[in-house]
Amino acid sequence: MKKKIQITLNGKSTSLEVSTHRLLLDLLRDEIGLTGTKEGCGTGDCGACTVLLNGKPVNSCLILSGELDGADILTIEGLKIGPELHPIQRAFVQDGGAQCGYCTPGMLMMSKALLDENQNPTEEEIRFALSGNLCRCTGYAKIIQAVQEAAAILRTR
Amino acid sequence: MAQLKVVGEPVTRVDAVEKVTGQAVYGYDLVLPNMLYGKTLFSPKAHAKIKKINTDKAKHYPGVVAVVTGEDAPWTHGETIKDKPFLAQGKVRYIGEPVAAVAAEDEDIAQAAVGLIEVEYEDLPVYTDPEEACKPACMPIHEDFDRYRKADFIVGGHLPNVAEHFKLRTGDVAVGFKESDLVLEERYFVPIIQHSAMEPHSAHAQFDQQSGRLTIWVANDAPFRALHEITEALNMPKEQIRFINPLQGGGFGSKGGLKVEPIAVALAFHTNGRPVRVKFNREETFISTLTRHEAVVYCKSGVKKDGTIMAREMTIYWGAGAYAEKSPTVCIRGSLPAPGPYRIPHVKVDGYAVYTNKPVAGSYRGYGIPQGAWACEQQMDELAKRLGMDPVELRMKNIFVEGDIAYWGERLQAVGLKETLVKATEAIEWGKRPDQVKPGVKIGKGFACIQKPTRSPTTSAAGVIVNGKGDLTVLAGTVEIGQGCNTILSQIAAEELGVPMDKVHMHPLDTDVIPFDASTTSSRSTYHMGNAVRRAAIHAREQIAEAASPMLEAKAEDLDFADGKVFLKVQPQMAIPLGEVVRRKLGADGMVRGDGSYTYEIAKDLDLETGHSDHASAFYMYATQAAVVAVDEESGRVRMLRMSAAHDVGKAINPLNCVAQIEGGVAMGIGSALHEELVVDDAGKVRNPSFLD
Repeated sequence: MKKKIQITLNGKSTSLEVSTHRLLLDLLRDEIGLTGTKEGCGTGDCGACTVLLNGKPVNSCLILSGELDGADILTIEGLKIGPELHPIQRAFVQDGGAQCGYCTPGMLMMSKALLDENQNPTEEEIRFALSGNLCRCTGYAKIIQAVQEAAAILRTR
Repeated sequence: MAQLKVVGEPVTRVDAVEKVTGQAVYGYDLVLPNMLYGKTLFSPKAHAKIKKINTDKAKHYPGVVAVVTGEDAPWTHGETIKDKPFLAQGKVRYIGEPVAAVAAEDEDIAQAAVGLIEVEYEDLPVYTDPEEACKPACMPIHEDFDRYRKADFIVGGHLPNVAEHFKLRTGDVAVGFKESDLVLEERYFVPIIQHSAMEPHSAHAQFDQQSGRLTIWVANDAPFRALHEITEALNMPKEQIRFINPLQGGGFGSKGGLKVEPIAVALAFHTNGRPVRVKFNREETFISTLTRHEAVVYCKSGVKKDGTIMAREMTIYWGAGAYAEKSPTVCIRGSLPAPGPYRIPHVKVDGYAVYTNKPVAGSYRGYGIPQGAWACEQQMDELAKRLGMDPVELRMKNIFVEGDIAYWGERLQAVGLKETLVKATEAIEWGKRPDQVKPGVKIGKGFACIQKPTRSPTTSAAGVIVNGKGDLTVLAGTVEIGQGCNTILSQIAAEELGVPMDKVHMHPLDTDVIPFDASTTSSRSTYHMGNAVRRAAIHAREQIAEAASPMLEAKAEDLDFADGKVFLKVQPQMAIPLGEVVRRKLGADGMVRGDGSYTYEIAKDLDLETGHSDHASAFYMYATQAAVVAVDEESGRVRMLRMSAAHDVGKAINPLNCVAQIEGGVAMGIGSALHEELVVDDAGKVRNPSFLD
């Protein structure tokens, strides 16, 4: 079934006609062409497709397009602040938080969700927040370090 | 040696920004104009004859453009044994084997049409245990093994389902055991695991009927091997086939060889020139790409009371799965060093790569080393315990040091193993009794040593282009799989030509224009491709020095390079920017190109009877890792408390990247040791093809 929806995508108001059963992940990647959001499993296990839906992190492979009318969606493509990298992005670059980079967009969106709520997370809180985001390259150490550094930068703002 | 400016520095990754902004385009992201969508029918049977396939309903389903089966793709491929069909031909050998495929206007249509393909099977006996599958009474999974085309070094087929038999013979183990005070024999088992690179597998293919050219877009970590295999299989001229590599979201060995590629190619010949994309989802990636070899390892050791190892005998059954893929070379290069990095006078190893009706095993990070080490290092600990010796002391007594003759006949050089053993065990305070944390929880410490050869001899070639702006473009066939090669190779080019890192660009990987490279495997790239890029950069530098010589009124050998300029060694202020030299010599759009190639030629093949070689590997990697764990006595739950890793890396081109690689490897190793197993039941079915179980 087709449905007309109005969403805010990366800060821009957008009208779309969607198949209601289409997954948000496929809507973003295949129909809108935003392939920064990654598909790792398609079943909500790996976190690679994490986006922010009304400010909350979700696995976009578990959200149906029909539910999205009025939603505010932020993807990795909207994380930069103007032309500048977001402090979380900068920290991932500097600390080696990305290797193959495939889990990185999901990691960054989940980290943003954490830091939006809590600018002074403990290591335990970071690990807990990212526990649904799998990375096979880094061993997580540099990711956690990057989130800690981003938090420190955000606290000074 | 001149002062190094970029090499050896912890430079941040050159590809980090595109990866943190979502701009990086991976194989799974790639959309081509007018593209069709491919879906695959996988075998539900582990071993069966195909009696009949009926594709009529699928072909007539609206929106379907092509349906192909093994009859439409009568080709086989394989790196060392050409045993694997593009799509099943006459029989299936594992659950998950591609049997047929559909290309359609969208993915839903393709999937629906796949469901309309009818296949009739006749069951055959299923073999899931590599130790059992090579017993004389077993039926061959590959009836035509003897007729397959094979590499010269393949020794297989003398026992049922044995694709390769590796033999190592040194001294006489019977004598060695006789001279020992303690002899110990154990059986060890290492289960199947799957690489689980975060990007699942996919491939795109297009066949242009006008030009007769076949183009394949795939994140494959050995595009030149893939090119060679497809060329041989299709009997097409190499120039008619082109591989383009989008970015690769991890690999760990799973993305070499041909998995999705043959399906996409088979479809592309039937789509009237339209490109077709075949994606495997996560479940399909688990069952139908590659896995790490399961291994049954028998290990028997004889030692003197003082800890001197006298003899070691090992028999290893490597579970190859249904097709050979990398099994012969995993069997050879995994079995050879399996007795461990120790001086042992009497050694006998038999390694068998055995076909089973399970998913295909291939290369996996460590390439056969973890299986041997799992057995050998546990046995070392048990020997130490029975001798009443400290396990570190037992290793110290026998460990390879500089100049030792290894049991395969090679004089070893650059052996940093002892230092790694000391450093890794010191870091966990080996020898100091751990504090008891709470009742019912025991703290344990352990460590293991490894040695690993690299694939040898192999070749890498590269090009370095300098343009009129003084920018460099590096042409290298090493695939950026996350390991950081683009950064490392950029550093090497920047160093040789004296330019800043931000002036160096890596050319995307395309076999039409990129010089040959053997593969991004075996920890070979920094050394082999690094040297090729260095030589290409030196070649470019020589041409620029030659061109700058009349401009600076100096001999070429009196010139040096730094800060993007070529200058007089004795008068550094006499300088010209590189770009200006190129422009003045060749015009505004001119480019200087340097080429270089590197082959480690000294390495010799192993003797087929004894496994000996006086130079088996370009270099060996040595490492020790140590762990502290807490074990709950009641539940058996193991918690990692601490891990240390000491690796002899030689000169680190990029220390930050080196640490990152080791950290990632440690995490993967912990997973392998404590948490991971691809469970395949007796019927050959994978029971847990997801991240959840």
